[in-house]
Amino acid sequence: MTSPGQPPHDPDADPKAELRVIAAETPPDSTLNDSFVVLSAGGAAVLAVVFAVALLAGGPLPLYGGALAAGLLLLAVAVRRYFTDRFPDVEAVEPRAIPGAEAAENEPLADVAPVGPRRTFLKRFLLAAGAVFGVGIAVPPIASLGPAPRSTLRTTAWREGRRLVTTDGVPVRAADIAEGGLASLWPEGAVGEERAAVVLLRLSDPPRPPTVAAWVVAPGLVAYSKVCTHAGCPVALYRERDNALFCPCHQSTFDPSRGAVPTFGPAARALPQLPLGVDADGFLVALGDFQAPVGPAFD
Amino acid sequence: MTPLFALLFDRLDERLALRSPSRKVANKVFPHHWSFLLGEVALFSLVVLVATGIFLTMFYRPSTQSTVYTGSLELYQGRAVPAAFESILRLSHDIPGGLLFRRIHRGASHLFIAASVLHMLRIVLTGAFRRPREINYQLGLGLLTFAFMAGFTGYSLPYDSLAGTGIRIAYSELLSFPFIGDRMAFWVFGGDFPTGDVIPRFFVFHVLLLPAIILGAVGLHLLLVGRQRHTQFPARGIDGHAMILGKPLWPAQFAESATLILWLGGLLTAAAVFIPWSDVSLLGPYVPGEVGNNAQPDWFLFWVDGALRIFPPFEVRLPGVVISGPFVAGILLPGAVFTGLALYPFLERRVYGLRGDWHVLQNPLDIPLRAGVALGTFSFVLLLSAAATNDILSRLTGIPIEDVLLFFRVTCLVVPPLLGLGIASYARRRLRARGRVVARDEREAVRSYVPEPHGPTAAPPPQQAAPASPVRPD
Repeated sequence: MTSPGQPPHDPDADPKAELRVIAAETPPDSTLNDSFVVLSAGGAAVLAVVFAVALLAGGPLPLYGGALAAGLLLLAVAVRRYFTDRFPDVEAVEPRAIPGAEAAENEPLADVAPVGPRRTFLKRFLLAAGAVFGVGIAVPPIASLGPAPRSTLRTTAWREGRRLVTTDGVPVRAADIAEGGLASLWPEGAVGEERAAVVLLRLSDPPRPPTVAAWVVAPGLVAYSKVCTHAGCPVALYRERDNALFCPCHQSTFDPSRGAVPTFGPAARALPQLPLGVDADGFLVALGDFQAPVGPAFD
Repeated sequence: MTPLFALLFDRLDERLALRSPSRKVANKVFPHHWSFLLGEVALFSLVVLVATGIFLTMFYRPSTQSTVYTGSLELYQGRAVPAAFESILRLSHDIPGGLLFRRIHRGASHLFIAASVLHMLRIVLTGAFRRPREINYQLGLGLLTFAFMAGFTGYSLPYDSLAGTGIRIAYSELLSFPFIGDRMAFWVFGGDFPTGDVIPRFFVFHVLLLPAIILGAVGLHLLLVGRQRHTQFPARGIDGHAMILGKPLWPAQFAESATLILWLGGLLTAAAVFIPWSDVSLLGPYVPGEVGNNAQPDWFLFWVDGALRIFPPFEVRLPGVVISGPFVAGILLPGAVFTGLALYPFLERRVYGLRGDWHVLQNPLDIPLRAGVALGTFSFVLLLSAAATNDILSRLTGIPIEDVLLFFRVTCLVVPPLLGLGIASYARRRLRARGRVVARDEREAVRSYVPEPHGPTAAPPPQQAAPASPVRPD
């Protein structure tokens, strides 16, 4: 270790720090290279000014972006040429430290910090108390990060008599949906409550079981949860030709004419059917909440 | 050294005793091979990410509150969008330089993860993970998973339609943990999706928690490389087990690294000028219950998305718990790949009865097991990644999606084992043809690499003092 008292340029200060050179190639003198460094570094500086001026003056992105890119690349060239020309190309070897050899240099710690008679029980007790303390203060804050799920995931905002509305909050009548048509609807007062989203379809043929016939509004109007039972994406696409509700995330496909059972892809459960009815004013309403949990598995 | 710098250095040296340690650092020898630059590319991308990220953080608003955009972008003029999305629009279209820095950040994130993955491949294929470097290798795998998380949270922050869909799938993945899934999901999201807490929390993960973890782990990663020294490819006449051949940090490696970071900065900036990546104004804000076609995650999560797509319908209900397809394909399978990679060094050591420390890199074909496991694993991950594009492939080729899915289900199960066994058996025959066996000890192995006889010290004598050192007079 060099101390302030030693001469500052002592090459033998730490022999381990010396380089063991096995080959060194000194680059030839070249004024061409000097010009190259000057030109590229100067160019980079000019481009940096272009970048600054263009950015401050509200110039277009290609101008200041291009200037910055070209400036960085030119600066790279300048740095490269500067080093190549100025320093010999050195190949050196360094011995690997052999494990154990270094450890022997260090004094054993016990000699530095004397320990009293060993008290195993106390040490263990302290460690155990520390562990209890650590867990005790670390876990409750984690539990505070979110509410307890309780029945949140088993229920949605659908209630008996709650109307189906569009994203703009407009209630829907049976006649609003054309044959083969599809609408994405919400419970009134809970638009955007993701797990409550439903797709409403008018099927050309009356749906077969396991579709619950009592929840089908004539003719062929049926509503299913829009949340895919695989990974929770919106089942947003309807292919009428093969009667398929399709999830664009992982291609799970459901058959709305047969209780929205999965027919293809990774989903394993049917989309729950919304108990659907019509209220006194002719608007579509729910007859109650879904009878099965919506969305992906959660327990 | 310029006189001013020399004077400053002397004054500092008097107080901090810097001369000897800095000379030691300057004389550290770096082996030269292009593949050693991959880790450096990752490191410098991280530097670019932090620098541009600080700028972006000044403008980003971590909130999903509806806000009216009143900037210069015609398409969204006067429209109410989530505040996070609004702030990205404003940053991109109304702040000078905002779009450039955002695109550089995005490009650097791709480069960071790509370079990390390639770096990992280099480590696995050449055997740089062997004793004594198993811990650093596992630390690197951990870093890669945190890089994935940083990438995913960054992808989520604009709260565009793809981001929201990605967040929804991540929520479902957390839910899928048996027994504790719902609690875990509520802890991370602050309640049922989409709570107002999602974006503020992802913001904290992305700009505070994950960078702190990644930067800390990168520091430790480099510290361990310094402590354990580099591995190196076999070099003629050098006993790589005892000596490292290469170029000193100053000036050769410094020049290389300085050039590299400037090149990377230049290329990332050029890419940002030409490639309009993650132009969220085309995607639109996330609206719950809506999603478009082509819902793909970022490329580095394709393999997980592919696994989710091709895993057959699966949901087993046991008393009190459900084991579902998304849990097996989205949690267990990626977990198994990473755990397998992390434990592989110990498997190889046991299978071949390896002894002692290893510092010299190998051709993977010299170790049949490694050749097989590496090709098997990476072909599996690549096939799964390809499976994440099954909807696009089906549309482009006109082949029904059903057939594309079947193709991937079969190939993912059949091709990786075949490739792995095939290359392992080829590697075995190759070794036999050359009359060689897998060496159990590096001394034994090095003898086959170093044809010339060399002395017991196995190192050429030191010839001269350093021509280059940090105190080299100008």
